[in-house]
Amino acid sequence: MFWDKEMETLGGKALEDLQVKRLRQTIRQAEKVPFFKNLLGEKGVSADDINKITDVSKLPFTTKKDLQGGYPFGFLAVPKKEVVRIHTTSGTTGKPTVVGYTRKDLDNWSELIARNMTMVGLTDEDTFQNAVNYGLFTGGLGFHYGAEKIGMTVIPSGTGNTKRQIEMIDDFGVTAVHCTPSYAMHLAEVAEEMGSKLETFKTGLFGAEPWSDNTRKTLEQKLGVTAYDSYGMSEMYGPGAAFECQERNGLHFWHDCYLIEIIDPETEEVLAPGERGELVVTPLVKEAMPLIRYRTGDITCILEDECPCGRGPRIARITGRSDDMLVIRGINVFPSQIEHVLRTLPEVGDQFMVYVDRINHLDEMTIDVEIRKEFFSGELSDLEKIQKKIIHALRDTLNLRTKVNLVEHESLPRFEGKAKRVIDRRGDAI
Amino acid sequence: MPVEQLSELQYKRMKTLVYRLYSFSEFYHKRMKEHNVHPDDIRSLADVTKLPFMYKSDLRDNYPDKIFTASQDELVRYHVSSGTTGKPTVVGYTQNDLELWTTSLARALTGCGLGRGDVMQVSYGYGLFTGGLGLHYGAERIGATVVPTSVGNTERQIELMQDLKVTAIACTPSYMIHIGETADRMGVSIEKDTYLKVAVLGAEPWSEQMKMHIQDRLGIRAHNIFGTSELSGPMFCDCAEQNGIHIWADMAYTEIIDPDTGEQLPPGEKGELVMTVLQKEALPMIRYRIGDITSMDDSVCACGRTHPRIDRLQGRVDDMLIIRGINVFPSQVEHALLGIPEVSGHFMIVVDKKGALDEMLVQVEMNPEAFSDKVQDIMEISKKVSHVLKNSLNISVGVELAAPGALPRFEGKAKRVIDRRLN
Repeated sequence: MFWDKEMETLGGKALEDLQVKRLRQTIRQAEKVPFFKNLLGEKGVSADDINKITDVSKLPFTTKKDLQGGYPFGFLAVPKKEVVRIHTTSGTTGKPTVVGYTRKDLDNWSELIARNMTMVGLTDEDTFQNAVNYGLFTGGLGFHYGAEKIGMTVIPSGTGNTKRQIEMIDDFGVTAVHCTPSYAMHLAEVAEEMGSKLETFKTGLFGAEPWSDNTRKTLEQKLGVTAYDSYGMSEMYGPGAAFECQERNGLHFWHDCYLIEIIDPETEEVLAPGERGELVVTPLVKEAMPLIRYRTGDITCILEDECPCGRGPRIARITGRSDDMLVIRGINVFPSQIEHVLRTLPEVGDQFMVYVDRINHLDEMTIDVEIRKEFFSGELSDLEKIQKKIIHALRDTLNLRTKVNLVEHESLPRFEGKAKRVIDRRGDAI
Repeated sequence: MPVEQLSELQYKRMKTLVYRLYSFSEFYHKRMKEHNVHPDDIRSLADVTKLPFMYKSDLRDNYPDKIFTASQDELVRYHVSSGTTGKPTVVGYTQNDLELWTTSLARALTGCGLGRGDVMQVSYGYGLFTGGLGLHYGAERIGATVVPTSVGNTERQIELMQDLKVTAIACTPSYMIHIGETADRMGVSIEKDTYLKVAVLGAEPWSEQMKMHIQDRLGIRAHNIFGTSELSGPMFCDCAEQNGIHIWADMAYTEIIDPDTGEQLPPGEKGELVMTVLQKEALPMIRYRIGDITSMDDSVCACGRTHPRIDRLQGRVDDMLIIRGINVFPSQVEHALLGIPEVSGHFMIVVDKKGALDEMLVQVEMNPEAFSDKVQDIMEISKKVSHVLKNSLNISVGVELAAPGALPRFEGKAKRVIDRRLN
């Protein structure tokens, strides 16, 4: 099934012409942002230099760090009164990255979600439980608007209160669910405890954190759904930039809206289809916050074969990161953010260690920090106070609850070369 | 619109609604038959009093969707709020229902002086609660920039408020006070260090004194927004005059009744609020007894709007409590406790304010068989009780286990709720 067959199956010269046209528009839109005007000026490139799609390689890259420097509104290309929505996503240090949307942006984004959901066979007759966080996180409102566009019945359940969620699935005859794969696993377990078979379930849309094909098998079996992988990030509107079709063999990117490249993260050289590297995306229809050759940090490759469904080239499922970003319960965390927070607390020493585990299918992050000698009192209540303060400060910045262990000064490992402060013990098991 | 035309429109829409429900809704057809009324009996707005009331219990008895008058493929949304016992109240929406709801909020927010140039932080909970998504859609409709922060992480909210130059916020009045206090602690003056000028506050009862306190301390205008999920969600608000909540008369027909006799009361007299939502499709509401106590003023407001106003809500006719914006019935607590073998049916609810936020404590007696002097056992049971209550009430509550026989017994009507917030 297609939501917008013409755009979804556009290929060859027609697609390239459209991409070139939209890339030029995007460059002109980006030039309204001082950062890009300078950057493009320095490189001596403008929209007029784009005549074929490979000319994109003349353009400079943009990084998350660049966005950080523009906080809060430095990357807006439209007057603020045209911005109708703001989402934020984690930055690499203390401040978040701000993403703005015009009305047209919201409409484009919902269209893409509508394409994805239609592609996996959902229609206005489906009842859809959106079990991800609403609010500043793009996953909630993004899917909500897309499902509403199709005319599905939306249950904005959010996360948490899992028993109630299962009652609703049974009482309302929910057919499709969207959540993180780890929450899906939790749902399956609680349903089993409650003796619910989740009989009406047929489709599961999972994303916001990496998950394996083994997890897919387990989830499909336990929930009785066909499970689909979703890809996107706030900088490209949110989830929905790429999605699996019913073949479930790679994710279709929407090439009328995004120009994708794979590069070698070290040399920045563009790689051929089939070669694995870092995904670089130039969104082609964004108004409020255009981006040029944005380095996603996600590792994948462009699949060479054609998909029987008739849509354009796919990327392989994401297999890792080119940087040190962690995904904890669907939330992006950079170790640099943790460092940044700890540095602001006088009680805490310079060394810390981060451990990531999966306990009962949910990610848990534990941070060991050293207490400075002068604050190391024998009183348990003093230590508890410091511990609480650290947890609170971390939660405010990371938007995430963490465990904190206080350790004596000079007890954590010191690193001579590159510090290895993160130990991810989650492995493949979910 | 002039008052006469408004009344005429109300009558026309009421008539259409009654005919439609008599013909297509099994529930309303039966209810009207039982009360010996036929749509033809409604010949003027005054005849509305012939129609039977609808109660929250009707929603519960018809859980989840037996009253709905829209088919599955017409439904585009469900919201869920707490019912009086175990099962929640379910509200379904068609596309037109969402449209009407959004329109009413767009009018309300415009009435507060907000528009395209504003940046609105929506700090109501998103999700199944109607406050978040309701205000979100309303603010989006007037072209404001929406910052969907939802609740929690107050320090981050205050930073965003400063950094994103937020001019308006929607949240509960107690969360507004909490934001003010947290800002103080952070050394941020809402009045001097932010652009905030308007707060749209509701979802729990608050007093005129609280409004003055918020306005004076934070240097903002505090508006009073009203609605319940059965009506769609928050829908109505006071205008710049801040002298009563305008009820959009083309959308809803309002009555104030004596809760005991069911008689309609004249404007100015205090009684129970009863509403008929004139164009709702999925879950129509005729003479729905909202349970809030207020009075009506049908004179034309200085702002020029002809739509009648209701006064700030003065309390409830039933025992419903509102804790941090969530409705809680003592009967729900009772119902939840019945499912736990280790505890008895003797319980007390103590509600208090901790800082600006509501805290609810449930004290419950243990059953003699489960009573143990091992701390470990007691903690296990206490954890279990708070977990069950959280699942049923959708809010975290404190739990205190008492020894068998330790809590008061009541000979007459049990008075299980102690609300200390009012002081």
